[in-house]
Amino acid sequence: MGIEPGRLQFSWISSAEATKFVEVAQAVTETVKALGPNTHFVKHEAKVA
Amino acid sequence: MKVIYIEKAQWASGLEKAGDSFRLWGPVRRGQFYAFEELAGGQVPALDFRNTRLSAKGLVYPQSEKMFEYTLDPGQPDHDLLKEAQKDYSPRAVLGIRPCDADAFELVARNFDTPEYQDPYWLRAREAVTLVGLACAAPCSTCFCTSAGSGPFSTKGLDILLVDSGGNFLAQVATPKGEAFAQAAGWRQPADDAAAAEIDRQRQVAEARIDSHVATERLRQQDTLTLHAAPFWDDVAFACINCGTCTYLCPTCWCFDIQDETHGRQGVRLRNWDSCMFPLFTLHGSGHNPRGQKVQRVRQRFMHKLKYYVDKYENGIQCVGCGRCVRHCPVNIDIRKVCELMNSYTLAGDSCAVVS
Amino acid sequence: MRAYTEKIREIARRLLEACTVERVLGFRRGSVPMMNAPCFVKTPAEAANLVWDSNCGINLANYLTSRSEKIGIFAKGCDSRNIVTHIIENKIRREQLVIIGVPCHGMIDRHRIAAMADGEIREVVEDENNIIVQGDGFKKVHNRHDVLQANCAVCTHRNPVIYDELVADLVEEPGDVDRYRDVREIEALSAEGKWDFFDDLLHDCIRCYACRNACPLCYCPTCFVDESRPQWVGKSQDPVDVRTFHFLRAYHCAGRCTDCGACERACPVGINMRVFTKKLEKDCLEKFGWEAGLSLEARPPLDAYRPDDPDDFIR
Ligand code: SF4
Ligand code: SF4
Ligand code: SF4
Ligand code: SF4
Repeated sequence: MGIEPGRLQFSWISSAEATKFVEVAQAVTETVKALGPNTHFVKHEAKVA
Repeated sequence: MKVIYIEKAQWASGLEKAGDSFRLWGPVRRGQFYAFEELAGGQVPALDFRNTRLSAKGLVYPQSEKMFEYTLDPGQPDHDLLKEAQKDYSPRAVLGIRPCDADAFELVARNFDTPEYQDPYWLRAREAVTLVGLACAAPCSTCFCTSAGSGPFSTKGLDILLVDSGGNFLAQVATPKGEAFAQAAGWRQPADDAAAAEIDRQRQVAEARIDSHVATERLRQQDTLTLHAAPFWDDVAFACINCGTCTYLCPTCWCFDIQDETHGRQGVRLRNWDSCMFPLFTLHGSGHNPRGQKVQRVRQRFMHKLKYYVDKYENGIQCVGCGRCVRHCPVNIDIRKVCELMNSYTLAGDSCAVVS
Repeated sequence: MRAYTEKIREIARRLLEACTVERVLGFRRGSVPMMNAPCFVKTPAEAANLVWDSNCGINLANYLTSRSEKIGIFAKGCDSRNIVTHIIENKIRREQLVIIGVPCHGMIDRHRIAAMADGEIREVVEDENNIIVQGDGFKKVHNRHDVLQANCAVCTHRNPVIYDELVADLVEEPGDVDRYRDVREIEALSAEGKWDFFDDLLHDCIRCYACRNACPLCYCPTCFVDESRPQWVGKSQDPVDVRTFHFLRAYHCAGRCTDCGACERACPVGINMRVFTKKLEKDCLEKFGWEAGLSLEARPPLDAYRPDDPDDFIR
């Protein structure tokens, strides 16, 4: 789609896996922070005439 | 009407000169078709096209257009005020527009510029634009402009009409705006009487080449409800997929929808083209949809163009015969055929029909 | 093709005369070259209007959604696969249909042929191998294979997969076609390259929704782009909104699209939005061994759980 690898992630976490949830959330936050602010699929204001 | 000569050798240089005081737009090739785009300095419009895929209506009436904007940011001096969106209404010229598409501006003016209401966005954009048209020497088989009040050499709506005569253009200057553009381009060589005769000759040839004719003379006298209840609508509508192709490509379709968009602390009010072919067009807040069925929407499009408009404005049909909807409907719903059906429709056993 | 047309008229007449069906869904000759119009035939006499040639690219399964009559339908390979999908998704019942299979030689690309002509096309006729294009002062003969619709050129299911009778003998189906070269080329681009590629691809889109509306899969009573409470997508020409429409629509077609090409054919501005659905088609084939609409029994990959799912995040 043109979205950088890492910005979109999928995980399967059971409601019983609290530790895994924390780990995944931290990992996702770190990867996305490293990528910087998103520039695609963001609409600050409609680009029209 | 005043006619001037423009030698083709002076075409590009004239445009360059005019470019000092006008923004120039013209047909540009985009893949398999042509579209109107702003021309870069020195770029000449591609005049070898039959017609552009989309009409020129979007130049004055963009598909999506900002109307108002606001900000709630207290740091801004004009916060909490609804402001009209800033637009560039400096003079611009559209080169190479076809006569049917120019006539369409006159037609939609009946909607956007009425004694009661004037649409400021449309009017300002229209006022800013000078239309330099290109006569159609070789109309398409799907063109029926001469049946729709226009014609391949019509000057309705145009400021200048260019007629190609080999080494030069014969330019009919139809309005003071056209005069000003010719001045800005430095085209001032007056043509003799032979030029007017040549234009007339070419016009007759072009009009004779139009082989698509549509009868419209009975539409006015037809009874609205009888047409509305005619049995042919199911068959006409069957194949229609209710896309917006016919209405979006059409130079005379004028309907729009207003949307508000908020982005953080600021927002805009937009208007977007809308289409009577879409179910959403008539969906009420209550959830009720008075035109919930496809056949109702198809009927609406043709009844509006060929009956309601005809009755309301007494100025022919709401169509200039450009043929775009005929050429590009994905399932070949042909307004010429529907117009024939509507024009020639009579109730079976008409003469002794009892109206109850 | 003349033989197809004669046979089609004969079958339609027979079905309507015997009241086996109430309506027959086929094509009639259009008013401009390379355009046939879908039509609903109701009487045996009207069967004489039916035609078949290489301009029947509209997918007729699109006209079956939620109909209640008993219908006879002429179905090419792709149409038949969309009929299967319709039956699986409860949009029509098998018992309502008499499916007349039309082994397909491929449909021609009207946009491309028009772009290759030296003027306005006035007439297009065809024989077994050639497409003969004529206009004012020019005549061009194309080999049929050179002017096929892009999806037909790589089609591996030319024969109907489900039918009650056939209008002709089954045709040979090419086996070793490279169906996904275009998709691989896009896959090979960098993230930024993809972004720019799609930007350019969708530049001319006018959101007329002809692609969506021509598609038999897009039958939702209210499409997500038309929903107003809540409104999921902006309705303007903003490029983000346009792109959102295309991506989301493609995902809604995942595991269902048959690459019939009706969407691309319908687009008034020549956008190849099939690259989106093809990517998902390719993924379904590679990951699940799935091709849509081949069987009434098998469940599509997106509505079945399998322990051997190739994505490990889900296990
Ligand atoms: S008439 Fe044709 S172009 Fe118009 S909505 Fe119907 S299918 Fe689309
Ligand atoms: S209705 Fe069709 S032919 Fe008439 S002006 Fe509109 S697009 Fe052109
Ligand atoms: S997405 Fe396009 S190719 Fe796929 S089934 Fe729909 S119309 Fe056919
Ligand atoms: S048919 Fe073409 S122009 Fe219309 S919405 Fe689809 S891609 Fe856009």
